[in-house]
Amino acid sequence: MRLIFKNLNVLRSTINAISTSIEIKEIVESAVNNLPNLFDFSSFGMFWKKDLLLFLYQEESCPPSFTQEVVKNMVKVFSILGEESIDVERISIQTENRKLRPGRMMMEPRASLKSHLTLPLTVEGEILGCISLNSDQSNAFDAQDLQFLSVIGYQMAATLKHFQRLSSIKNMAIYDTLTGLFNRRHFEERLGVEAQKSFYGGTPLSLVMVDIDLFKKVNDTFGHTEGDQVLCKISSLLKTSVRKKDTVARYGGEEFILILPEAGLEESFLIAERIRRMAENTVFEVGGIQVNLTLSMGISNFPRHRAKSKEELVKMADQALYDAKRGGRNKVCIFTEKSAQWTVP
Amino acid sequence: MARGVRDEKEGKWSSDLVLDLYSNLLTEMWELVSALIGEAILAYLFTLAIRKIGEKYPFLNSIKVSEDGVSMEEVKQDYRTVAAVDIHRGFQSLINHLSQLFSDLAEGVINKELFPRVFPKFKEAERIISQK
Repeated sequence: MRLIFKNLNVLRSTINAISTSIEIKEIVESAVNNLPNLFDFSSFGMFWKKDLLLFLYQEESCPPSFTQEVVKNMVKVFSILGEESIDVERISIQTENRKLRPGRMMMEPRASLKSHLTLPLTVEGEILGCISLNSDQSNAFDAQDLQFLSVIGYQMAATLKHFQRLSSIKNMAIYDTLTGLFNRRHFEERLGVEAQKSFYGGTPLSLVMVDIDLFKKVNDTFGHTEGDQVLCKISSLLKTSVRKKDTVARYGGEEFILILPEAGLEESFLIAERIRRMAENTVFEVGGIQVNLTLSMGISNFPRHRAKSKEELVKMADQALYDAKRGGRNKVCIFTEKSAQWTVP
Repeated sequence: MARGVRDEKEGKWSSDLVLDLYSNLLTEMWELVSALIGEAILAYLFTLAIRKIGEKYPFLNSIKVSEDGVSMEEVKQDYRTVAAVDIHRGFQSLINHLSQLFSDLAEGVINKELFPRVFPKFKEAERIISQK
């Protein structure tokens, strides 16, 4: 009776630790830290389907052949449960060796997988992954072990689902749902950070405002669905044309904006020109017809244009874009004092 | 009694019996296995098994599964006309498939508890069918 109470207390604290975890790795750690008090086992694994991640905690004397068997078995069981075959090669396996069973002797170098309990991590009919408790001993687990593991698995699944929901809410707050680019709200945030760095650190910062020329015509001729496709294609062109540290966002409608940190005017002009030429040379298929589309762009730069705020920097890029449009489209224009004068009534 | 005779004549009597028998067995299985692996996992496994075996025995697709358990009401209402032997085979396949899934997950741990309850019911269903 005392043993049952002890186990229930361990189970309670395991569940508590899992439910208060704030990332996947921490969830698995929370479980693994308590598992040796509940089970006699050689390894514990958690497979996370979404990222094809497998966390494997194993006895430090565990031979590599045992690890391979465990991975193979987990993938096999998951494939049966998830009704989809998973290629082991695509899984990223994070293995950690620990003293999981202090009271026991070391595992034999030729130890093989003799028993396991593998349970799906499932919530609301959706399978998120699986967990597995493994042993080099035959019949290592009984019904009570299964009950305890299922309670732990249930809590892990519920916490993971909670993470998924949070992450999808976070994504909605950051990304534009159509193009997958950052949305305007996130752009403002990023610009705030970059402008701070730049204004106080004295490093250059450029903005490139991009607009698809005559986009209204695409929508009017081919319809909004085809227009949306064009927006997606231009978005991916922009995304693949910038540097890793740059930010590409959808500013609204057919307008996009690029934040180019540490880019001087010349470098940002080269980037913008490269994008303009790429768009010009790309044949877009719209509604089964091949069409050519062009982009107009306006550039502003700190410190060159002496913007006093991030808002002013955006305004300058917008005015330069206006110059590019007025100048006949399919152009990259750099902000000048003259552009500023045009907007003054 | 009159209904019983009529049903027997139409070949429905044993179908009802077999449906009742398997309805009870699935409820019993649910209670036993959910205590071991929890309702969420078990509901998932039942759904998986029904989808798979339901391809061959479509009447199984009318079994309702949720985390509250399995409900056979719709099957009992709509499939009384299915031959008892087909009902038996369908459920037998379903239960065998579930047993296989349990074995994939926990080797003999679940089936050790389950088999003593399942086998007598299979025998009873066979007896009902052979009496027809």
